[in-house]
Amino acid sequence: MGKIKKIFRYDNVGILFVLPAFVYMLIFVGYPIIRNVILSFQDVTAANLVRGDKTFILFDNYRELFADSVFVTSLFNTLRYTVLCLVFQFVIGFLLALFFNQRFSFARPVRGILLVPWMIPVTVTALMFRLLFATDIGVINYILRSLHLIGENIEWLTTPGTAMFALICANVWIGIPFNMILISTGLTTIPKELYESASIDGANKIETFFHITLPLLKPTIESVLILGFIYTFKVYDLVYVMTSGGPVNSTHMLSTYSYKLSFEMFKYSKGSAVANVLLVILLIVGVFYIKATTKGEEEE
Amino acid sequence: MKKKRVISLLAVLAMTIGMLTGCGSSAQTQDGAKPEESGGEAQDSPADASAEAEGNGGEAVTIWYYWETEGHQVALDQVIQEYNASQDTYEVTAKYVPFADFKKQLSIGASADELPDIAILDSPDHASYVEMGIFEDLTGKFDVSSYYEGTVNSCTVDGKLYGIPFGANCLALYYNEDLLTAAGCKVPETWDELMDAAKALTTDSVTGLALCSVQNEEGTFNFVPWLWSTGATSYDINNENGIRALTFIQNLINEGVMSKECINWTQGDVMNQFISGNVAMMENGPWQIPTMQAEAPDLNWKVTLIPKDSQYASVLGGENYAVINGGNVDGALDFLTYATSEEKVKFLMDKFGYISADKMIAENQFEADSPYTPFVEELNYAMPRGPLAEWPGVSDAISLAFNQVITGTATPEDAAAGAQATIDGIVK
Amino acid sequence: MNEEKKVTKKKNILLSVTALLLLCVLLFPLYWAFITSLKTEQEIFQNPPTFYPHILNLKSYAAQVETGDFNMFRSFANSFLISLGATVIAVLLAVPASYGIAKYRFKARKGMLLSFLVTQMLPVSVLLTPMFIMFKNMHVYNTWISAVLADATIGIPFSVLILKNYFASIPKDLEEAAYLDGCNRFTAFVRILIPIAKPGVMVCAIFSFLYAWGDLAYGMTFILDQEKRPITAGIFNFMGQYGTKWSYLTAFAVVTIIPVALIFIFMQKYIVSGMTSGAVKG
Repeated sequence: MGKIKKIFRYDNVGILFVLPAFVYMLIFVGYPIIRNVILSFQDVTAANLVRGDKTFILFDNYRELFADSVFVTSLFNTLRYTVLCLVFQFVIGFLLALFFNQRFSFARPVRGILLVPWMIPVTVTALMFRLLFATDIGVINYILRSLHLIGENIEWLTTPGTAMFALICANVWIGIPFNMILISTGLTTIPKELYESASIDGANKIETFFHITLPLLKPTIESVLILGFIYTFKVYDLVYVMTSGGPVNSTHMLSTYSYKLSFEMFKYSKGSAVANVLLVILLIVGVFYIKATTKGEEEE
Repeated sequence: MKKKRVISLLAVLAMTIGMLTGCGSSAQTQDGAKPEESGGEAQDSPADASAEAEGNGGEAVTIWYYWETEGHQVALDQVIQEYNASQDTYEVTAKYVPFADFKKQLSIGASADELPDIAILDSPDHASYVEMGIFEDLTGKFDVSSYYEGTVNSCTVDGKLYGIPFGANCLALYYNEDLLTAAGCKVPETWDELMDAAKALTTDSVTGLALCSVQNEEGTFNFVPWLWSTGATSYDINNENGIRALTFIQNLINEGVMSKECINWTQGDVMNQFISGNVAMMENGPWQIPTMQAEAPDLNWKVTLIPKDSQYASVLGGENYAVINGGNVDGALDFLTYATSEEKVKFLMDKFGYISADKMIAENQFEADSPYTPFVEELNYAMPRGPLAEWPGVSDAISLAFNQVITGTATPEDAAAGAQATIDGIVK
Repeated sequence: MNEEKKVTKKKNILLSVTALLLLCVLLFPLYWAFITSLKTEQEIFQNPPTFYPHILNLKSYAAQVETGDFNMFRSFANSFLISLGATVIAVLLAVPASYGIAKYRFKARKGMLLSFLVTQMLPVSVLLTPMFIMFKNMHVYNTWISAVLADATIGIPFSVLILKNYFASIPKDLEEAAYLDGCNRFTAFVRILIPIAKPGVMVCAIFSFLYAWGDLAYGMTFILDQEKRPITAGIFNFMGQYGTKWSYLTAFAVVTIIPVALIFIFMQKYIVSGMTSGAVKG
């Protein structure tokens, strides 16, 4: 009797609210994750995908991957790309959120319209940026030329370093509204009385920002960054349409390389192994996030 | 005011839920009617439903293909309609799966045991799927003795026939005759002449030559004629010949007679550049001809053999029919017997801008002055890629090497050595 | 930062002008796509480029309406249906889940939060095959339901993570006041907490909708019939068919953007105010 009561203690009731969503995700994504781990330890290619034995070769796929220069490139590409995108889109998004949080005539409508880049399917965005960054007909080259910043057209998408830059630009463009709107919504949760009392206390804007806005926005910022990290880290559509991993594999990401191995080269197990490397890295980031966000909560 | 908004929001929510459950139940009834077959379409619109009802009620036979060109789709559809009207045992339906998705869909379909009855696939991939074990052995069921050897080889594994060539194509050199005359060049036959012509043709607004160089099978398709022309093979690149081919391509870029942008141009893009007059010569296939004739009727162009280094060479392209085992094999065979008859082949080839894989048909397929005729001649020099189950790996190495020299990220020597190392790892 | 304080007139003008400038810079790619779609191919290749179409060319739009199997309007309807379905599932499941995570300290909480994140950590490429097998067994393969179910898996974890901060920021005494009024936990959640968290719910609904709207891989893989596929699948047809024929491609882009943008602009009053109207008013 006492035990049952304990299970239905106030806090444990909460699990009932979470369970439906949890079960849903478990059904649809849990099985793929487990299957993928198993697949990555096997030797599945075209020859034994349908018939024949699937042998467990344990870590051989992973060992081979780390000797594969394209894999190593895509690993570092993914990290570099994610960090750079995140920094730019977060900072710009944050500044815009603060800017539009002021009460002036156009604040709301303009902020609303700025969301439009987020509504465009990524494949379409990728096409648009391919046009902007085109060598001969690209308007970006034209503008840079007119400003005398460059003498000759830059071959953005056919030179390894600049192709990465173009990808980052496109992603930041998509990411700015994402960051802006989530931080804007976060700002609304801060009680206005706090600002009022701060201004009575004679605090200036910068002080209120660091002492009130930032600390109270912390949970929102953490969520935005972790989500941004995860979604940027597994970028696929954008790279696939803009560069397909080229030129000469210089913009391959873990996700695009995993796709290529699985569905173009028929190396299913290796493709899974790449995906799992991606998963493990994100898992580490995720654990840090949970640790940071739930620290000190228990005592409340 | 605020309350009103909440109410309207709830109303919308209720409506959507209503919609969801409403549609959900109609989907339920579909489930009973085998949703993976065409029965699921009934809900879409009355027009569709009646179109479905017009079917002859025979056993379903499905085809997957990847041609996005409308003319191709219409032509295939016409043959299917005629077949369906000619008998009532089987009813064939064709589904378009985009090329970029085709391999993925077949791989996933194979894992999930959800495949069509016939697949019309790119010939270099054929061997991989045979190895997967999803294709029916067709040995002795079709007479392919009069077909081009290369096309039959592409669907033969260990002496067994696992497919029927749909049609053949190969690459050749298109040139803009007006530009060539204006520049005072003769039609190039060798690499040196090609280089000279390209230099003479290149101006501020026109580049001399373009060939699709994307880093995938499409790029490989466009590279191997140059590789093979030197005497190198797909599996043996790190030698004088292979390096010469890579160096030639590199020189085209360095001399400015071919644009680096080619690495982002598909064969369709190359054709568009050609008909817009931005490019004076291009390597491309015969399937572009119908589009070119329709979109640029005034452009004065001709086709010739790809200029040679030590020998003429081209690459064999095209699709094969394959029958999936475990599916409706009898229906598939029946349809294929119909579709590979001389009359239907002629019709399809004509609409596709392809050359029949059947030599007997191909030789009389075109008039002497037809733009297709050079392709029939080129076909004699065309070799298939593979057939090899691991061809995608070899192809990847080749297209990488060519892209490295185009982008200047590796010397021809290093690119050749790199490709060879990968290929040796595959073909031991 | 001082939301309630209206700015002075001079500052208002200055800020408004800045806002419009920002708008121009950030939306320039869209403008460029739009004018490119109205140019002729020759003009697109013209150097220096033109910043408005000198010769108006509407041909590229005519080509969008119907090509082969692909029907623009039906694709839109499909996309809309799929996105709406995914949104409803995501919101219905994520709202209570985020509330549970924010307001209750049960044991499995951290683990559950982490598992929501983990579900987003696999690239789409390796999810496709197992999901395909599942949908086939559920007999929803090649129906829009499969795309709805798959797309909802993007929206749920996202919404849980964003909404949990919302519920957490609602003071406990509000909830307790509701109990005093005779509410139980469930009715308090529905009557008091959800209305307060409305901006957050709105944002989650919008994002879930847009994730589903932009999805390509699921719609392409699980739905084989052209007439049931979402609009994003049409991009593949166009890319294959027209390569880099920019007038056609950008016209397609514009056509895909306009309906969503219109819906958004018409509903802006509700969406934006829903998202940012003062949440916690004590």
